[in-house]
Amino acid sequence: MSELLIRNACVIDPINGIDGETMDIAIRDGRIVEDVNDSTAEVVDAGGALTLPGGIDSHTHICGTKVNFGRYMSPEDMRAGRTPRMGRMHATSGYSVPTTYGTSYRYSAMGYTTLLEGAMAPLEARHTHEEFLYTPLQDTLANTLFDGNWAVMEAVRDGDTKRVAAIIGWTLSAVKGFAVKLTNPGGTEAWGWGKNVSCIRDPVPYFEVTPAEMIQTIVRANELLHLPHSVHLHCNNLGTPGNYSCTIGSLGLIPDLNDRRQTLYATHVQFHAYGGSGWDDFCSRSEPIARFVNMRPQIVIDMGQVMFGKTTTMTADGPMEFNLYRLHHNKWSNHDVELETASGIIPVLYRRKNLVNSVMWAIGLELALLTENPWQCLLTTDNPNGAPFVRYPEIIGLLMSKRYRDAEFATVHPETGHRVPLPAIEREMDWHEIAVMTRSGQAKALGVLEIGKGHLGVGAEADVAIYPIRIDEVDPSVEYQKVVDAFRCTDYTIKRGRIVSRRGECLVDGNNTTVWVRPKISDSYDMVRDEEFVRKFDRYYTVRMSNYPVQEEYLRRNLWRRNLCIETEAEL
Amino acid sequence: MRVTLTVRPREKPFLPIEAETIVPRNFLDGTDTTVWRGNRELPLDAVFSVSVEGNAETAAEVEVVMRGDTALIKRVGEYMDAGRIVVEGDIGMHCGNFMSGGTIEIGGNADGWLGREMRGGSIICRGDAADYCASGYRGDKKGMTGGVVEVFGSVGDFAAEHLAGGTVIVHGSAGDMAGAEMHGGTLIIYGDCTRPCANMTGGTAFVHGTAYDMLPTFRRVGTIRREGRTFIQFTGDIANRGKGNLFVGDCRYMD
Ligand SMILES: [Zn+2]
Repeated sequence: MSELLIRNACVIDPINGIDGETMDIAIRDGRIVEDVNDSTAEVVDAGGALTLPGGIDSHTHICGTKVNFGRYMSPEDMRAGRTPRMGRMHATSGYSVPTTYGTSYRYSAMGYTTLLEGAMAPLEARHTHEEFLYTPLQDTLANTLFDGNWAVMEAVRDGDTKRVAAIIGWTLSAVKGFAVKLTNPGGTEAWGWGKNVSCIRDPVPYFEVTPAEMIQTIVRANELLHLPHSVHLHCNNLGTPGNYSCTIGSLGLIPDLNDRRQTLYATHVQFHAYGGSGWDDFCSRSEPIARFVNMRPQIVIDMGQVMFGKTTTMTADGPMEFNLYRLHHNKWSNHDVELETASGIIPVLYRRKNLVNSVMWAIGLELALLTENPWQCLLTTDNPNGAPFVRYPEIIGLLMSKRYRDAEFATVHPETGHRVPLPAIEREMDWHEIAVMTRSGQAKALGVLEIGKGHLGVGAEADVAIYPIRIDEVDPSVEYQKVVDAFRCTDYTIKRGRIVSRRGECLVDGNNTTVWVRPKISDSYDMVRDEEFVRKFDRYYTVRMSNYPVQEEYLRRNLWRRNLCIETEAEL
Repeated sequence: MRVTLTVRPREKPFLPIEAETIVPRNFLDGTDTTVWRGNRELPLDAVFSVSVEGNAETAAEVEVVMRGDTALIKRVGEYMDAGRIVVEGDIGMHCGNFMSGGTIEIGGNADGWLGREMRGGSIICRGDAADYCASGYRGDKKGMTGGVVEVFGSVGDFAAEHLAGGTVIVHGSAGDMAGAEMHGGTLIIYGDCTRPCANMTGGTAFVHGTAYDMLPTFRRVGTIRREGRTFIQFTGDIANRGKGNLFVGDCRYMD
């Protein structure tokens, strides 16, 4: 039995309605409990510092084949973030695509304890899980890509929602995925033919289904499976002027089907909120999108904030990355994942002096500030696409301080003011809203409150972040630099009851958990027994169906490492 | 001030030594510094016998002389900004990385990456230099930006890759892909080379001898006379909308 007592913590725990109360937190064997034995428990004195549940990133690219491709096509990025071996910490390298240890240590220093990999191709799932093993200080979950899945598209074409659900259910269990991700639905398959889909009404070559039909059917299938998370959508037509109407069209397809959480999670909406008919009249359309989201509780979005500087873009959206390559003429990589999806990677530099980049920077902030309910717009950069995650503290500062935004705005391209509403937005977010946007909102949106994530109530996993700042002494609107500094590095990051990081130094080897789902499906919908599915699988895939599933051994490097399977009762 | 470093006989002479501390400025505060062999940090005088004559106020007045088997001493002169380093024999990889001023003189041969990403100053190598002489580094788009590298022997492949400024002079021949990705500066090769200046976007290169396997993506402009010789002038690499100038004494295309 191990006990830990955090004294004098100034707690913000939105799920449990605690907003800046100074209290003690008792922890036993990795869970939060009513009390512990004060005389024997290890004691941490928070000294009135801001204490939050461990941070959760609900959309980040940290592990898997495309991340690794980003690493080896950018050796210059490896030079950018090198740290030597120190104590328990391995040597790390990389800035926008660090090594797995680099990712884990830097997130841990910022108080993050749970990460969702934004896009895992089922066929390449092993690679993602292997890298999860070496991301030791955070629990990990994987969005699983279904945007160009042949079997799913055929079932969508046949209007068979239950079959779609059955295929998704089998695949998620097989590859140990957590949620359904659609990246440019249909577009990644069209890319195999050298094409793309321009929006939700364009048919996918050969399959003759539209992205709209795919989104609508898969959203219903997701609910039939009773998955913890909703469908996670990267809309069609990313990054093109005027794409906001496509985004609104996509969001408009979504009924309200779930009373515990949203029905659709739309990711990195900044990249999907563009107005204009070309780059010359490119402008922000954050307002209509935020207004649309404000009226629909069934939608949650994340920012996909862009920050100025160097980074690497990586997504399953192959055709979009090829278009970026044609813009930048820099190095570039594109992949097709057979029968499933695609991917593309290029390095980018977002510049203040560039009008388009300046407008992009403004849009992310506008989405967060114009979405009234912070539970509906979560803080991300689509790491590393908009910026590496180490920039999150600056984004928190910008959201909390109009003065900081104005100071930054003065340094961007002078034309930006005519293209974006940002300078007119007065809102300054408070500590509570920031807590929602960086952990509690994520826990609710991902459906992991039930397994004890994102809050500090009795029974919750003891993931805690203590930041070196006193909220009663700092005015974030004026002293924004103090806010940025505090969120850069915790005093303590506690993961399942153990202090894993102290003032940026990681103290333990870590033992994370991979969380995945297994919907319980009746035999009549078991894809392994489905003749047509098995026949086509063996005919078209280059792997045998029996070799396709990721064995549980992949999720466990040693005995003390957990893997947590959430079983759901599917209506099949 | 003159600091003479004579390599002591080593038990395992094939293990390289990382010696980025051997820079004239560092010796203004004495010779109490360290070098690395693998994961082992060693005092300077464990690897060299050190002798110092005279004294100096500024780095420019410091001369470092290296003697003995220096062929596997790496990163000598990294970030050097002033003064002088004289290597009597061969020198290991990465000599003069990021150097911005002063002079390095090498009596023998230099291993790979001589003067990589150099910003200023000068390097003279009396023997041959291996691959990636005066080049950029893996993945980066900008290589050497200033200064002079002069090699009296021949150089290996990828000499002056990503050259962005400064001058690289090779008195012998260059290997494959000299001046690849060049976008500024001047490259002069007195001997022959193969496939020069692939993907070049700017800068000027002269090949006094023959350019073998000449790339077909350079457009022939005409001929000029320079230093009493006739050169064929090309512009390119048009595969990359490049506007570089390439002058060759003679060229052969691939069959
Ligand atoms: Zn993403």
